Amino acid sequence: MKIAVCLKRTPDSESRFRIAGNGAAIDETGLKFDIDDFASYAVEVALQINEKQAPGETVAFAVGPDAVQETLRKAMSMGVDRAVQLKTDAPTYDGLAIAKALAAELKAGGFDLVFFGKHAFDTSGGIVGTATAELLGVACVTSASKLEIASGKGTARRELEGVAEIVEFSLPAVVTIDEGIARARYPSLKGIMAAKKKPLETKPAQLGQPRVTVKGMSLPPDRPPGRIVGEGVAAVPELVRLLRSEAKVL
Amino acid sequence: MPNILVFAETRGGALRKVAFETVSAARALVDANGGGQVHALCAVPSGGAGLAEQIGKHGADVVLTAENPGFANYAREAVAATVAARAKSGGYRAVLVSFSAQGRDLAPRLAAKLDAPVAADVTEIRIAGDSVVVKHPVYANKVIATLQLDGPLVVLSTRPGAFPVTETPRTATVELLAPASDPSAEKVVVKEMQEGGKGKIDLGEAPVIVAGGRGLKAPENFKLVEDLAAAFGNAAVGATRAVTDEGWRPHSDQIGQTGRQVSPQLYVAVGISGAIQHLAGMRSSKTIVAINKDKEAPIFKVADYGIVGDVLEVVPALTQAVREAKASG
Amino acid sequence: MTTSIVVFLLVLTAGAGFFALNVQRLVRYLRIGLPENRTNDPGKRVENVLSIGIAQSKIFRDPIAGPMHAAIFWGFVVLTAGTIEILIQGVFNAFSYDALLPDPIYRFYAFSQDAFAVLVLGAIGFAMYRRLVLHPKRLEGDKLEHTDALIILSLIGGLMVTLLLTNAYAYLAGSTLVGPEKFASRITAQMLGRSVSNPALWSGVFWWGHVIILLVFLNYLPYSKHLHVVSSLINVYFSNTSGPGQKGVMRPMDLEAEVEQFGASDVDHLTWKNLLDGYSCTECGRCTAACPANITGKTLSPRKIVVNTRQRLMEKAPLETGDRMEFVHPRLVHGEGGDAGAATATQVVADRLLDTYITEEELWACTSCRACVQECPVSIDQLDIINQMRRYLVLSESRFPEEVQPAFESLERNGSPWAFSPGDRARWADGMDIPTMAELLERGERPDILFWVGCMGSFDDRAKKITVAFARILKACGINFAILGQEEHCHGDPARRMGNEYLYQMLAKDTIGTLDRYEVKTIVTSCPHCFHQIGNEFPDLGGNYEVIHHSTFIERLLEKNLVPLQSENGKRLTVAYHDSCYLGRYNDIYDAPRATLKRALPVVDIVEPKRSRDRGLCCGAGGGRMWMEERQGKRINVERTEELLATGADTIAVACPFCMTMISDGVKAAAADVPVLDIAEVVAGQLAS
Repeated sequence: MKIAVCLKRTPDSESRFRIAGNGAAIDETGLKFDIDDFASYAVEVALQINEKQAPGETVAFAVGPDAVQETLRKAMSMGVDRAVQLKTDAPTYDGLAIAKALAAELKAGGFDLVFFGKHAFDTSGGIVGTATAELLGVACVTSASKLEIASGKGTARRELEGVAEIVEFSLPAVVTIDEGIARARYPSLKGIMAAKKKPLETKPAQLGQPRVTVKGMSLPPDRPPGRIVGEGVAAVPELVRLLRSEAKVL
Repeated sequence: MPNILVFAETRGGALRKVAFETVSAARALVDANGGGQVHALCAVPSGGAGLAEQIGKHGADVVLTAENPGFANYAREAVAATVAARAKSGGYRAVLVSFSAQGRDLAPRLAAKLDAPVAADVTEIRIAGDSVVVKHPVYANKVIATLQLDGPLVVLSTRPGAFPVTETPRTATVELLAPASDPSAEKVVVKEMQEGGKGKIDLGEAPVIVAGGRGLKAPENFKLVEDLAAAFGNAAVGATRAVTDEGWRPHSDQIGQTGRQVSPQLYVAVGISGAIQHLAGMRSSKTIVAINKDKEAPIFKVADYGIVGDVLEVVPALTQAVREAKASG
Repeated sequence: MTTSIVVFLLVLTAGAGFFALNVQRLVRYLRIGLPENRTNDPGKRVENVLSIGIAQSKIFRDPIAGPMHAAIFWGFVVLTAGTIEILIQGVFNAFSYDALLPDPIYRFYAFSQDAFAVLVLGAIGFAMYRRLVLHPKRLEGDKLEHTDALIILSLIGGLMVTLLLTNAYAYLAGSTLVGPEKFASRITAQMLGRSVSNPALWSGVFWWGHVIILLVFLNYLPYSKHLHVVSSLINVYFSNTSGPGQKGVMRPMDLEAEVEQFGASDVDHLTWKNLLDGYSCTECGRCTAACPANITGKTLSPRKIVVNTRQRLMEKAPLETGDRMEFVHPRLVHGEGGDAGAATATQVVADRLLDTYITEEELWACTSCRACVQECPVSIDQLDIINQMRRYLVLSESRFPEEVQPAFESLERNGSPWAFSPGDRARWADGMDIPTMAELLERGERPDILFWVGCMGSFDDRAKKITVAFARILKACGINFAILGQEEHCHGDPARRMGNEYLYQMLAKDTIGTLDRYEVKTIVTSCPHCFHQIGNEFPDLGGNYEVIHHSTFIERLLEKNLVPLQSENGKRLTVAYHDSCYLGRYNDIYDAPRATLKRALPVVDIVEPKRSRDRGLCCGAGGGRMWMEERQGKRINVERTEELLATGADTIAVACPFCMTMISDGVKAAAADVPVLDIAEVVAGQLAS
């Protein structure tokens, strides 16, 4: 099958973040970047489908500046066949603009499936995948936690709050991938070497004028140091009170 | 005087709590901007008019009901088409949905159909002239982004629990809407709804996790953890490597470096000392509570609230207190 | 030329010739392995041959089998002189050294022959009894059978018996060559009695018997585990396990090389030395008996790794060398029963050492404790084979226990095998006024020594206490030191031990860059893994620093009386010290931690667990196992903790943060109330306030 995977380059989720001087971005010094976690599951799912139903082609797409090429190479070291960079200078929070750029590129691609991560660690919006599907006019399953593809049809499971929805759809389709569906494979050194020679194409991204812009970034108020509420059973009422009024989790 | 269109989420014909949150948020927003209309759209198999009073209680002026048996489950394409059609026609400043599982699917579709800028998972909304400014936690809640959306119509999804449910009751007028497309002719068809996953909430989904460690002393005592989880209602049960290695709990319950990594809203660590491998699995939980008899236990360094005491005594007391708190609403 | 001489020469030529062809074949097989240079430092190599080989130093580690084997080995060496004499007699049948040697020397020689013949016979008898009746555990298992051993023991026994009988009958026939020094031969003659008819004939018969058995024995060697008779001294010579060079350093690897695969999945990707190890294994099982994984019920057996290597070589090499002399099947190569051993050439090509013979499970069970290498009497490096195969699994097939993946990913992204923020690395130092290298550089200053904290010491709450304790000691002694703080990240040792050489080199090279930028010369660290990696393995990547482990460093401070200690605390403590593998077997550091305890605690008894010092049982965390689940058998740390608790000590002392975690867990599992303390904590606890 011809499968496209759209991925994003995001910083490692364990990092501590600082705000950049201009107050409207994070300070990237010292941060390590990699394929966004959910997008990496999407790559894995695509690779597994094409391994089971060979022959096939997996193509990775990413919108971003040249730094994103490293991320596309990582996807190729996992086994993706080729990659396309839609080049843009600045990252944007305008999910619809990115979706338009991707849809323009994917339209003529003849893909049976297009995968996205369900959302990206940085922008955390979950917009691009589903919006792209809408622009392409194909079936879209958002947040699949299980997926099976056979004979031009797909079955997916979506976790809702407390229940799960099982859906069926026909290809071509867009699916955004939730966690739990697969673990992203660790590239072998062999794969890393091979990726250096796989084709990576660069084209300009047709983003247009972004209509969602970042006005500011700030750190949430510091987690106050924890405290021992009390000892033994006697401390329970106070704990419950705090959970209710302060932490607002009860 | 902005008008706002709200999608009031239902499941099986009944309104969900997030619907009231979004209506309340819309009401607050229009009131802060000199008044305006809040229209709430719901897609139900039948009996939409009956929901009007509930929705009106939270500030909706008009309740738009799209009724069709095909809306028994979430007919995503028809819902998107219907909401978009209404939004195009109605002179709205914004369309609000919840950032629930349904809303995450709906908002991007609306944005594409309306060619409108969209922001998801927002915690604050402000109208500033020609722009709408929102706050949105990013980088797994480690950073707060302030975003500006430019356009006459914007799509927003609200973070569940971020906007309070308020009551500004009025009598909402009811308007029946025709679905803009046939809900039984969807490309994505719902085949089945399955209750609660495997019969219990998955650790990755649960907003509350109660986890037990070796401080429970014996496998039988895990019942206390289960009871506490049950008292919370929406909690999953986790375990440390120490007890899964002993066979007290299955390996799939293990939270930690070599087990599951979780970040629930509330993590209650019962009889867990807080070894590095365990912490690696739960540190990013929003609120951490620790109960342990050793006040030097490392878990207290990461916990927001701690009780030093015998877990076998404290946990049942806490379970009772939680039950009472939940019952009193 | 009489017929008998002709026949003898024919038999000798045939026997020796066949043996020589076999040896040539076996040497040719070695060539399917990768090349490597083992010719450096011949002085040290000869020293090893003399002490490990000739003096049997490792053999004697077993107090019963040791003397038994030494008797047989030395016996063989001494009896070789006699063998040569006998073979010369095949052509010159009256030949004897008597004609060449001065009389007293000849008589001493003659005595030695009989004495050792008796000794060997006695040792053989005991060996058979031990194997058949006593059933020592390490001679069982790994699907080995006793047939091979019994054949050899019988052949050796036969050689001794035919020797004595030849001499006995010669004596009865009136030979002057059997003097009273040949006491055993004379006693045998007496036992035979005087009424033997035609003793000369019988002497000849047994003479021929001896020659035939000798040649049979010689030619049996290539098909038996007794090939070690030929190869072991050579193996010890070419081995690096006791030096030359630093012990326990993993092989360097050129990742830029255009190779078809990284690491070893089959015998042709091991080196000729690994294959020679296969020839030299005597299947004694001392390695497996010392292996913490095997002891606790895992499938790993170091012996099996080596035996399998040989079996696979014997299967594959004939095909690869186009050998026409090949009629060796794994069945003949002693030990393997039905499972492995391909039936057809196609199968041989499809099979490989990995998976067909050695499973992933075995390879990942290894804690790299080096006990197997320590015990092996013929200097085999079992760990080298395991490490090369781990490299193949990770680098070529990306196959490893799934719980390892988060560790690899975290190393790559966070510079630490645990998912902690790099920003938190130096938080333990808050309020302690410890400068970082960067801060000092800004002031134009430089510390005398860098304190390398390590990831455990930076992030693990229990290990942080060790870090703080050691820092307090350094401060109390007025040592001018600094830390790297947030510029420190993992040197990659966990990745290397788990076979991920690529990730290791990335992290190691970056660390060397940082250290060199600050022109660091001397480093002290509280973690033996950091100690070994930076001190012993970094030089291969161009990083050369003097690295001291904190137990040694504290000992030196104590020796110089630089540590301000409280005068008395009065309580008599019984302390069991658990030897860290990477301090002990890897670096021979056994005494410093014990000495430190004795000096720091005014009143202390050090009790040794059953397995201690270079026989110490591993805590189970090495070889990357800290990041893996134990799914089979008993937990290694539980086994070791039970042993430590059995000493009755009221305190357990360790010198490694991994050991600290494992032993502490073991103490909790045993629900015992014994504190586990690091050496630094013991000393810091004694600091005068």
